[in-house]
Amino acid sequence: MRRLVWLAFALSLAACGPFPRDPDRTEELVRESGTIRLGWVRGTAPEREAAQALAAVARATSARVERVPGDSETLLRDLADGRIDLVYGTFAMASPWAKEVHFGPAIGWRAAPPRNQPAARFAMRNGENRWIMTVEQAVRP
Amino acid sequence: MNQLPKEIRPEMARARRLEWWTLAGMGSVVAAMYFAMGSSQAMKTAFIEDLLGLVPAVTFLVAARLEPRPPTRKYPYGFVRVDSLAFMASAVVLAAVGAWLLFDGVSALAAGEHPTIGPVTIFGHTVWLGWIMLAALAWSVVVPVVLGRLKRPVASKLCDKVLHTDALMQKADWQTGLAGMAGVLGIGMGLWWADSAAAAAIALSILYDGARNIRTAAAELLDGMPRQLESAEISPDAERLKRRLEARWPDGHVRLRESGRYILANVGDTCPPGDLPPLEEWMGDDAGWRLAQLSFTPPGCARSDED
Repeated sequence: MRRLVWLAFALSLAACGPFPRDPDRTEELVRESGTIRLGWVRGTAPEREAAQALAAVARATSARVERVPGDSETLLRDLADGRIDLVYGTFAMASPWAKEVHFGPAIGWRAAPPRNQPAARFAMRNGENRWIMTVEQAVRP
Repeated sequence: MNQLPKEIRPEMARARRLEWWTLAGMGSVVAAMYFAMGSSQAMKTAFIEDLLGLVPAVTFLVAARLEPRPPTRKYPYGFVRVDSLAFMASAVVLAAVGAWLLFDGVSALAAGEHPTIGPVTIFGHTVWLGWIMLAALAWSVVVPVVLGRLKRPVASKLCDKVLHTDALMQKADWQTGLAGMAGVLGIGMGLWWADSAAAAAIALSILYDGARNIRTAAAELLDGMPRQLESAEISPDAERLKRRLEARWPDGHVRLRESGRYILANVGDTCPPGDLPPLEEWMGDDAGWRLAQLSFTPPGCARSDED
Protein backbone atom coordinates (compact mmCIF):
# COMPACT_ATOMS: atom_id res chain seq x y z
CA MET A 1 0.00 0.00 0.00
CA ARG A 2 2.82 2.39 0.92
CA ARG A 3 4.42 1.69 -2.48
CA LEU A 4 1.18 2.60 -4.23
CA VAL A 5 1.03 5.87 -2.30
CA TRP A 6 4.60 6.67 -3.41
CA LEU A 7 3.70 5.79 -6.99
CA ALA A 8 0.61 8.02 -6.86
CA PHE A 9 2.82 10.80 -5.41
CA ALA A 10 5.37 10.35 -8.21
CA LEU A 11 2.61 10.35 -10.85
CA SER A 12 1.13 13.57 -9.46
CA LEU A 13 4.61 15.15 -9.44
CA ALA A 14 5.02 14.00 -13.04
CA ALA A 15 1.75 15.70 -13.93
CA CYS A 16 3.15 19.09 -12.79
CA GLY A 17 5.05 20.98 -15.47
CA PRO A 18 6.37 19.65 -18.78
CA PHE A 19 6.77 15.91 -19.08
CA PRO A 20 9.16 14.41 -20.01
CA ARG A 21 11.89 16.81 -18.90
CA ASP A 22 15.52 17.21 -20.01
CA PRO A 23 18.14 16.26 -17.38
CA ASP A 24 20.46 18.94 -18.83
CA ARG A 25 17.67 21.45 -19.67
CA THR A 26 18.37 21.63 -23.44
CA GLU A 27 14.90 22.85 -24.43
CA GLU A 28 14.67 25.26 -21.51
CA LEU A 29 18.04 26.77 -22.48
CA VAL A 30 16.91 27.05 -26.12
CA ARG A 31 13.79 28.93 -24.99
CA GLU A 32 15.72 31.12 -22.53
CA SER A 33 18.47 32.03 -25.01
CA GLY A 34 16.14 32.24 -28.01
CA THR A 35 18.75 30.34 -30.05
CA ILE A 36 18.97 26.82 -31.43
CA ARG A 37 22.65 25.99 -31.99
CA LEU A 38 22.52 23.69 -35.02
CA GLY A 39 25.57 21.78 -36.20
CA TRP A 40 25.37 21.26 -39.97
CA VAL A 41 27.61 18.51 -41.34
CA ARG A 42 29.36 19.93 -44.41
CA GLY A 43 28.15 18.39 -47.67
CA THR A 44 24.72 17.35 -46.39
CA ALA A 45 22.03 18.30 -48.89
CA PRO A 46 19.29 20.51 -47.36
CA GLU A 47 16.17 18.31 -47.58
CA ARG A 48 12.88 20.22 -47.82
CA GLU A 49 11.40 18.20 -44.90
CA ALA A 50 14.44 19.07 -42.75
CA ALA A 51 13.99 22.80 -43.41
CA GLN A 52 10.28 22.52 -42.57
CA ALA A 53 11.05 20.62 -39.35
CA LEU A 54 13.64 23.21 -38.30
CA ALA A 55 11.15 26.01 -38.92
CA ALA A 56 8.53 24.15 -36.83
CA VAL A 57 10.99 23.63 -33.93
CA ALA A 58 12.00 27.30 -34.09
CA ARG A 59 8.32 28.34 -33.97
CA ALA A 60 7.54 25.95 -31.07
CA THR A 61 10.45 27.26 -28.99
CA SER A 62 10.30 30.92 -30.16
CA ALA A 63 13.98 30.64 -31.07
CA ARG A 64 16.05 31.32 -34.15
CA VAL A 65 18.42 28.80 -35.73
CA GLU A 66 22.15 29.52 -35.55
CA ARG A 67 24.10 27.29 -37.97
CA VAL A 68 27.52 25.90 -37.03
CA PRO A 69 29.10 24.11 -40.03
CA GLY A 70 31.68 21.38 -39.40
CA ASP A 71 32.66 17.75 -39.87
CA SER A 72 30.50 15.03 -38.34
CA GLU A 73 33.09 13.82 -35.77
CA THR A 74 33.58 17.29 -34.30
CA LEU A 75 29.90 18.20 -34.36
CA LEU A 76 28.72 14.95 -32.79
CA ARG A 77 31.36 15.28 -30.04
CA ASP A 78 30.20 18.88 -29.41
CA LEU A 79 26.61 17.63 -29.28
CA ALA A 80 27.43 14.83 -26.79
CA ASP A 81 29.26 17.37 -24.61
CA GLY A 82 26.33 19.83 -24.73
CA ARG A 83 28.09 22.60 -26.68
CA ILE A 84 25.44 22.51 -29.43
CA ASP A 85 21.75 21.52 -29.34
CA LEU A 86 21.22 19.68 -32.60
CA VAL A 87 23.20 18.21 -35.52
CA TYR A 88 21.93 17.70 -39.06
CA GLY A 89 23.82 15.28 -41.28
CA THR A 90 23.84 11.94 -43.07
CA PHE A 91 24.17 9.10 -40.57
CA ALA A 92 23.53 5.35 -40.51
CA MET A 93 21.76 3.90 -37.48
CA ALA A 94 24.58 1.32 -37.32
CA SER A 95 27.13 4.14 -36.75
CA PRO A 96 29.26 3.79 -33.58
CA TRP A 97 27.95 7.25 -32.63
CA ALA A 98 24.47 5.76 -32.11
CA LYS A 99 25.50 4.95 -28.52
CA GLU A 100 26.81 8.44 -27.81
CA VAL A 101 23.93 10.47 -29.28
CA HIS A 102 20.33 9.88 -30.29
CA PHE A 103 19.60 9.70 -34.03
CA GLY A 104 16.10 10.75 -35.10
CA PRO A 105 14.09 9.19 -37.94
CA ALA A 106 15.43 9.30 -41.52
CA ILE A 107 14.27 12.36 -43.42
CA GLY A 108 12.90 11.88 -46.92
CA TRP A 109 12.25 8.14 -46.46
CA ARG A 110 8.76 6.60 -46.35
CA ALA A 111 9.88 3.55 -44.32
CA ALA A 112 12.93 3.25 -42.06
CA PRO A 113 16.04 2.57 -44.20
CA PRO A 114 18.35 -0.41 -43.45
CA ARG A 115 20.51 0.15 -40.33
CA ASN A 116 23.74 0.48 -42.29
CA GLN A 117 22.23 2.84 -44.90
CA PRO A 118 23.30 6.46 -44.32
CA ALA A 119 20.31 8.83 -44.40
CA ALA A 120 19.73 12.51 -43.64
CA ARG A 121 18.59 12.88 -40.03
CA PHE A 122 18.87 15.03 -36.92
CA ALA A 123 21.01 13.92 -33.99
CA MET A 124 20.22 15.00 -30.44
CA ARG A 125 21.93 14.65 -27.09
CA ASN A 126 21.20 11.36 -25.32
CA GLY A 127 18.56 11.51 -22.58
CA GLU A 128 17.26 15.01 -23.43
CA ASN A 129 13.81 13.54 -23.84
CA ARG A 130 11.74 16.76 -23.97
CA TRP A 131 13.98 18.20 -26.69
CA ILE A 132 13.95 14.89 -28.59
CA MET A 133 10.12 14.89 -28.43
CA THR A 134 9.96 18.45 -29.77
CA VAL A 135 12.36 17.80 -32.68
CA GLU A 136 10.90 14.41 -33.63
CA GLN A 137 7.32 15.66 -33.50
CA ALA A 138 8.39 18.30 -36.03
CA VAL A 139 10.15 15.72 -38.22
CA ARG A 140 7.31 13.16 -38.27
CA PRO A 141 4.70 13.94 -40.92
CA MET B 1 5.69 -43.03 -3.74
CA ASN B 2 5.41 -42.75 -7.50
CA GLN B 3 1.64 -42.42 -7.33
CA LEU B 4 0.57 -39.05 -6.03
CA PRO B 5 -1.29 -39.47 -2.68
CA LYS B 6 -5.09 -39.21 -3.07
CA GLU B 7 -5.33 -36.35 -0.54
CA ILE B 8 -3.32 -33.96 -2.69
CA ARG B 9 -4.48 -34.93 -6.18
CA PRO B 10 -7.19 -32.18 -6.43
CA GLU B 11 -4.65 -29.56 -5.25
CA MET B 12 -2.13 -30.86 -7.78
CA ALA B 13 -4.68 -30.50 -10.59
CA ARG B 14 -5.41 -26.95 -9.39
CA ALA B 15 -1.67 -26.19 -9.30
CA ARG B 16 -1.32 -27.41 -12.88
CA ARG B 17 -4.20 -25.18 -14.02
CA LEU B 18 -2.69 -22.21 -12.21
CA GLU B 19 0.65 -22.80 -13.92
CA TRP B 20 -0.98 -22.86 -17.36
CA TRP B 21 -2.71 -19.58 -16.45
CA THR B 22 0.69 -18.28 -15.37
CA LEU B 23 2.22 -19.11 -18.74
CA ALA B 24 -0.63 -17.33 -20.53
CA GLY B 25 -0.75 -14.30 -18.19
CA MET B 26 2.98 -13.78 -17.82
CA GLY B 27 3.42 -14.51 -21.55
CA SER B 28 1.16 -11.52 -22.27
CA VAL B 29 3.24 -9.43 -19.83
CA VAL B 30 6.52 -10.46 -21.51
CA ALA B 31 5.10 -9.61 -24.96
CA ALA B 32 3.84 -6.19 -23.76
CA MET B 33 7.20 -5.44 -22.11
CA TYR B 34 9.18 -6.51 -25.22
CA PHE B 35 7.27 -4.17 -27.52
CA ALA B 36 7.41 -1.23 -25.09
CA MET B 37 10.98 -1.76 -23.81
CA GLY B 38 12.83 1.06 -25.60
CA SER B 39 16.21 1.89 -24.10
CA SER B 40 15.21 1.93 -20.42
CA GLN B 41 17.63 -0.12 -18.30
CA ALA B 42 14.98 -0.74 -15.61
CA MET B 43 12.47 -1.86 -18.22
CA LYS B 44 15.05 -4.21 -19.79
CA THR B 45 15.81 -5.68 -16.36
CA ALA B 46 12.10 -6.04 -15.56
CA PHE B 47 11.53 -7.71 -18.95
CA ILE B 48 14.29 -10.26 -18.28
CA GLU B 49 12.91 -10.93 -14.80
CA ASP B 50 9.42 -11.50 -16.20
CA LEU B 51 10.87 -13.81 -18.84
CA LEU B 52 12.76 -15.73 -16.14
CA GLY B 53 9.57 -15.79 -14.11
CA LEU B 54 8.26 -18.31 -16.63
CA VAL B 55 11.03 -20.79 -15.72
CA PRO B 56 9.53 -22.04 -12.40
CA ALA B 57 6.10 -22.45 -14.08
CA VAL B 58 7.62 -24.49 -16.91
CA THR B 59 9.78 -26.56 -14.52
CA PHE B 60 6.72 -27.26 -12.34
CA LEU B 61 4.72 -28.52 -15.32
CA VAL B 62 7.63 -30.66 -16.58
CA ALA B 63 8.35 -32.04 -13.09
CA ALA B 64 4.63 -32.76 -12.48
CA ARG B 65 4.59 -34.82 -15.68
CA LEU B 66 7.80 -36.73 -14.86
CA GLU B 67 7.19 -37.28 -11.13
CA PRO B 68 4.50 -40.02 -11.38
CA ARG B 69 6.47 -42.06 -13.94
CA PRO B 70 7.14 -45.64 -12.81
CA PRO B 71 10.72 -46.60 -11.85
CA THR B 72 12.95 -47.96 -14.57
CA ARG B 73 15.98 -50.27 -14.51
CA LYS B 74 18.29 -47.25 -14.55
CA TYR B 75 16.17 -45.22 -12.10
CA PRO B 76 14.85 -47.81 -9.65
CA TYR B 77 13.68 -45.13 -7.18
CA GLY B 78 11.54 -43.41 -9.79
CA PHE B 79 11.54 -39.70 -10.54
CA VAL B 80 10.20 -38.02 -7.39
CA ARG B 81 13.40 -35.97 -7.07
CA VAL B 82 13.05 -34.42 -10.50
CA ASP B 83 11.33 -31.64 -8.57
CA SER B 84 14.54 -31.04 -6.57
CA LEU B 85 16.69 -31.03 -9.69
CA ALA B 86 14.39 -28.52 -11.39
CA PHE B 87 14.41 -26.36 -8.27
CA MET B 88 18.21 -26.25 -8.14
CA ALA B 89 18.47 -25.48 -11.87
CA SER B 90 15.99 -22.59 -11.68
CA ALA B 91 17.71 -21.20 -8.54
CA VAL B 92 21.13 -21.17 -10.26
CA VAL B 93 19.70 -19.44 -13.35
CA LEU B 94 17.98 -16.86 -11.16
CA ALA B 95 21.16 -16.05 -9.22
CA ALA B 96 23.35 -15.89 -12.35
CA VAL B 97 20.99 -13.56 -14.21
CA GLY B 98 20.58 -11.40 -11.08
CA ALA B 99 24.37 -11.01 -10.84
CA TRP B 100 24.68 -10.12 -14.52
CA LEU B 101 21.85 -7.57 -14.38
CA LEU B 102 23.31 -6.01 -11.24
CA PHE B 103 26.65 -5.57 -13.03
CA ASP B 104 24.85 -4.11 -16.05
CA GLY B 105 22.83 -1.64 -13.95
CA VAL B 106 25.76 -0.51 -11.82
CA SER B 107 27.98 -0.11 -14.93
CA ALA B 108 25.31 2.09 -16.58
CA LEU B 109 25.08 4.15 -13.38
CA ALA B 110 28.87 4.49 -13.14
CA ALA B 111 29.16 5.46 -16.82
CA GLY B 112 26.50 8.16 -16.29
CA GLU B 113 24.43 6.89 -19.23
CA HIS B 114 21.46 9.16 -19.95
CA PRO B 115 18.63 6.90 -21.15
CA THR B 116 16.71 8.17 -24.14
CA ILE B 117 12.98 7.58 -24.45
CA GLY B 118 11.71 9.19 -27.59
CA PRO B 119 8.27 9.58 -29.13
CA VAL B 120 6.29 6.89 -30.93
CA THR B 121 3.45 7.30 -33.43
CA ILE B 122 0.32 5.25 -32.71
CA PHE B 123 -2.76 5.54 -34.91
CA GLY B 124 -1.47 8.84 -36.26
CA HIS B 125 -0.81 10.34 -32.80
CA THR B 126 2.72 10.97 -31.56
CA VAL B 127 3.09 10.20 -27.85
CA TRP B 128 6.02 9.79 -25.47
CA LEU B 129 7.07 6.09 -25.44
CA GLY B 130 7.39 6.37 -21.65
CA TRP B 131 3.57 6.37 -21.32
CA ILE B 132 3.37 3.09 -23.27
CA MET B 133 6.13 1.69 -21.04
CA LEU B 134 4.20 2.72 -17.91
CA ALA B 135 1.06 1.00 -19.24
CA ALA B 136 3.02 -2.22 -19.96
CA LEU B 137 4.64 -2.06 -16.50
CA ALA B 138 1.23 -1.55 -14.86
CA TRP B 139 0.01 -4.73 -16.62
CA SER B 140 3.15 -6.48 -15.33
CA VAL B 141 2.06 -5.57 -11.77
CA VAL B 142 -1.60 -6.65 -12.01
CA VAL B 143 -1.07 -10.17 -13.44
CA PRO B 144 1.49 -11.49 -10.90
CA VAL B 145 -0.35 -9.98 -7.92
CA VAL B 146 -3.42 -12.09 -8.78
CA LEU B 147 -1.48 -15.28 -9.68
CA GLY B 148 0.84 -15.11 -6.67
CA ARG B 149 -2.07 -14.80 -4.22
CA LEU B 150 -3.80 -17.83 -5.77
CA LYS B 151 -0.66 -20.00 -5.71
CA ARG B 152 0.69 -19.60 -2.18
CA PRO B 153 -1.98 -21.64 -0.33
CA VAL B 154 -1.80 -24.41 -2.97
CA ALA B 155 2.02 -24.60 -2.67
CA SER B 156 1.71 -24.84 1.09
CA LYS B 157 -0.77 -27.74 0.90
CA LEU B 158 1.38 -29.59 -1.64
CA CYS B 159 4.67 -28.84 0.19
CA ASP B 160 5.94 -27.99 -3.27
CA LYS B 161 9.09 -25.89 -3.41
CA VAL B 162 8.94 -25.18 -7.14
CA LEU B 163 5.38 -23.90 -6.87
CA HIS B 164 6.32 -21.87 -3.81
CA THR B 165 9.33 -20.42 -5.67
CA ASP B 166 6.98 -19.58 -8.48
CA ALA B 167 4.66 -17.71 -6.09
CA LEU B 168 7.73 -15.86 -4.76
CA MET B 169 8.76 -15.03 -8.32
CA GLN B 170 5.35 -13.49 -8.86
CA LYS B 171 5.93 -11.29 -5.81
CA ALA B 172 9.31 -10.28 -7.21
CA ASP B 173 7.64 -9.63 -10.59
CA TRP B 174 5.10 -7.11 -9.30
CA GLN B 175 7.70 -5.40 -7.12
CA THR B 176 9.93 -5.21 -10.19
CA GLY B 177 7.04 -3.68 -12.15
CA LEU B 178 6.67 -0.94 -9.53
CA ALA B 179 10.44 -0.30 -9.49
CA GLY B 180 10.41 -0.15 -13.30
CA MET B 181 7.58 2.41 -13.19
CA ALA B 182 9.61 4.49 -10.74
CA GLY B 183 12.58 4.27 -13.15
CA VAL B 184 10.56 5.43 -16.19
CA LEU B 185 8.87 8.20 -14.19
CA GLY B 186 12.33 9.23 -13.00
CA ILE B 187 13.53 9.54 -16.60
CA GLY B 188 10.42 11.60 -17.40
CA MET B 189 11.20 13.89 -14.49
CA GLY B 190 14.71 14.47 -15.81
CA LEU B 191 16.46 12.24 -13.26
CA TRP B 192 18.78 10.28 -15.56
CA TRP B 193 20.12 8.10 -12.71
CA ALA B 194 16.66 6.92 -11.55
CA ASP B 195 16.40 4.31 -14.30
CA SER B 196 19.77 2.63 -13.66
CA ALA B 197 19.26 2.84 -9.89
CA ALA B 198 15.85 1.13 -10.20
CA ALA B 199 17.42 -1.52 -12.48
CA ALA B 200 20.19 -2.20 -9.95
CA ALA B 201 17.64 -2.48 -7.11
CA ILE B 202 15.57 -4.97 -9.14
CA ALA B 203 18.70 -7.00 -9.99
CA LEU B 204 19.71 -7.11 -6.32
CA SER B 205 16.32 -8.59 -5.40
CA ILE B 206 16.66 -11.23 -8.19
CA LEU B 207 20.14 -12.14 -6.93
CA TYR B 208 18.87 -12.42 -3.33
CA ASP B 209 15.99 -14.72 -4.36
CA GLY B 210 18.37 -16.90 -6.38
CA ALA B 211 20.92 -17.19 -3.55
CA ARG B 212 18.22 -18.10 -1.01
CA ASN B 213 16.76 -20.76 -3.31
CA ILE B 214 20.21 -22.27 -3.97
CA ARG B 215 20.65 -22.63 -0.20
CA THR B 216 17.32 -24.48 0.18
CA ALA B 217 17.94 -26.67 -2.91
CA ALA B 218 21.45 -27.56 -1.70
CA ALA B 219 20.04 -28.67 1.67
CA GLU B 220 17.83 -31.20 -0.09
CA LEU B 221 20.56 -32.45 -2.44
CA LEU B 222 22.84 -32.97 0.57
CA ASP B 223 20.13 -35.04 2.28
CA GLY B 224 19.59 -32.32 4.89
CA MET B 225 16.60 -32.23 7.22
CA PRO B 226 13.34 -31.27 5.43
CA ARG B 227 13.09 -27.49 5.13
CA GLN B 228 10.22 -25.03 5.37
CA LEU B 229 8.79 -23.60 2.17
CA GLU B 230 9.27 -20.02 3.30
CA SER B 231 12.85 -20.29 4.57
CA ALA B 232 15.87 -22.56 4.93
CA GLU B 233 14.76 -23.48 8.49
CA ILE B 234 13.84 -27.08 9.36
CA SER B 235 10.14 -27.73 8.77
CA PRO B 236 8.07 -28.13 11.98
CA ASP B 237 6.30 -31.33 10.83
CA ALA B 238 9.74 -32.97 10.36
CA GLU B 239 10.83 -31.81 13.85
CA ARG B 240 7.67 -33.32 15.37
CA LEU B 241 8.12 -36.61 13.47
CA LYS B 242 11.73 -36.86 14.64
CA ARG B 243 10.64 -36.39 18.26
CA ARG B 244 7.98 -39.13 17.90
CA LEU B 245 10.46 -41.57 16.38
CA GLU B 246 13.09 -40.80 19.03
CA ALA B 247 10.51 -41.34 21.77
CA ARG B 248 9.70 -44.79 20.34
CA TRP B 249 13.35 -45.79 19.73
CA PRO B 250 15.40 -43.83 22.28
CA ASP B 251 18.56 -45.85 21.52
CA GLY B 252 18.19 -45.53 17.75
CA HIS B 253 19.77 -42.86 15.56
CA VAL B 254 16.85 -41.09 13.85
CA ARG B 255 17.61 -39.28 10.61
CA LEU B 256 15.18 -37.56 8.25
CA ARG B 257 15.70 -36.31 4.75
CA GLU B 258 13.51 -34.89 2.03
CA SER B 259 12.88 -36.35 -1.39
CA GLY B 260 10.80 -34.00 -3.50
CA ARG B 261 7.70 -33.23 -1.42
CA TYR B 262 8.12 -36.38 0.75
CA ILE B 263 9.93 -37.16 4.02
CA LEU B 264 12.07 -40.29 4.30
CA ALA B 265 12.96 -41.46 7.80
CA ASN B 266 15.64 -43.89 8.92
CA VAL B 267 16.22 -45.31 12.39
CA GLY B 268 19.84 -46.43 12.64
CA ASP B 269 21.30 -49.08 14.98
CA THR B 270 17.83 -50.60 15.36
CA CYS B 271 16.37 -53.88 14.09
CA PRO B 272 13.02 -53.54 12.25
CA PRO B 273 10.24 -54.24 14.73
CA GLY B 274 7.61 -56.83 13.82
CA ASP B 275 4.57 -54.66 14.34
CA LEU B 276 4.41 -51.14 12.98
CA PRO B 277 1.43 -48.80 12.61
CA PRO B 278 0.65 -47.37 9.14
CA LEU B 279 3.02 -44.59 8.04
CA GLU B 280 0.30 -41.88 8.37
CA GLU B 281 0.07 -42.45 12.11
CA TRP B 282 3.66 -41.34 12.66
CA MET B 283 2.77 -37.91 11.34
CA GLY B 284 0.20 -37.26 14.10
CA ASP B 285 -1.93 -34.24 13.15
CA ASP B 286 0.38 -33.26 10.26
CA ALA B 287 -0.31 -34.29 6.64
CA GLY B 288 -0.02 -38.12 6.68
CA TRP B 289 1.08 -38.46 3.04
CA ARG B 290 4.31 -36.55 3.75
CA LEU B 291 6.03 -39.60 5.26
CA ALA B 292 6.82 -41.82 2.30
CA GLN B 293 9.26 -44.27 3.90
CA LEU B 294 10.36 -45.46 7.33
CA SER B 295 13.41 -47.72 7.22
CA PHE B 296 15.64 -49.36 9.82
CA THR B 297 19.34 -50.11 9.80
CA PRO B 298 20.25 -52.89 12.21
CA PRO B 299 23.52 -52.57 14.17
CA GLY B 300 26.53 -53.51 12.06
CA CYS B 301 24.73 -52.96 8.73
CA ALA B 302 26.15 -49.47 8.11
CA ARG B 303 29.44 -47.79 8.76
CA SER B 304 29.08 -45.62 11.83
CA ASP B 305 29.69 -41.88 11.51
CA GLU B 306 32.35 -42.13 14.21
CA ASP B 307 34.53 -44.61 12.20
